[in-house]
Amino acid sequence: MKLVGRSSPFGGETRTRVLLALALLGESYPRELSRLLGKPLNGIQQAIRSLEKDGLIGGRSMGRTRLFRLEPRYFAARELEAYLKRLADPDDDLRDRVATLRRRPRRTGKPLTL
Amino acid sequence: MSLTKRSSISDVAGVVSEALERAGIRTVLSGGACASIHSQGAYQSVDIDFIVQSAATRPAIERTLAPEGFHRRGDQYFHDLAPYYIEFPPGPVAIGSDYSIAPIVQKVGAYHIRMLSATDSCRDRLAAAFHWRDAAALRAAVEIALRNDVNFQTIKKWSESERSLDKYEAFLEEVEKSKRRRRARGRTR
Repeated sequence: MKLVGRSSPFGGETRTRVLLALALLGESYPRELSRLLGKPLNGIQQAIRSLEKDGLIGGRSMGRTRLFRLEPRYFAARELEAYLKRLADPDDDLRDRVATLRRRPRRTGKPLTL
Repeated sequence: MSLTKRSSISDVAGVVSEALERAGIRTVLSGGACASIHSQGAYQSVDIDFIVQSAATRPAIERTLAPEGFHRRGDQYFHDLAPYYIEFPPGPVAIGSDYSIAPIVQKVGAYHIRMLSATDSCRDRLAAAFHWRDAAALRAAVEIALRNDVNFQTIKKWSESERSLDKYEAFLEEVEKSKRRRRARGRTR
């Protein structure tokens, strides 16, 4: 369901949210984006496919996972990134969610809890 | 000329390019197929990317390519026999942030193909090497540079604008290494 008061300048709320998340994260994969944005995986995958087709994002395979990022070869890549970061600026909720994602390495076998 | 399973990538690109041109659809060959032609086959690709530069609908492209033996599956056009497929990635014709690209019309075998120049095709492969760390793309750029009179000044200036001058230096080193290896092989023959 579309949230009231959120603009979707990229043709759909999920497409816009995926772009915003990728601008903040740098790189991500569909399941992580689904968790982060609180949206169903198939909707995220559909948005990713259409963004990829439009040349705005690109993906590479890492084992069985596809990692996506804003396409750095897109002719307006720098402007797009700057615009997305500007759009994400007032979105405290999204920035807080991104801030809770652990990206730094964790040594293999190190327990998660005591 | 009818395409067969033995048709080369340049034959397929040529047949498609000329068919689209006859139908009034202006395209520019780019990507891997263009690199394959400029590297004289040293770099191989199975997909043939055309950037459409005139207003053309999908049915119009389908109607144009069907008599040449192509059928659409999703966004790709496959030939009944030839082992390559055609794609139409979104425009404009751009190499990284540079969209002031002047395509050339080159005679390739029996066909005239509007395509990226050797220098631009080299930059196109370098864009993938710089931004995606793609080693195969770097190799392709080197092969193009070895076989064509590419403009290194243009490539250097563009690399700078892509904030990849250090990677340009690595590319140049690879070109020099390849030249040395070729000379050494020539001496032992």
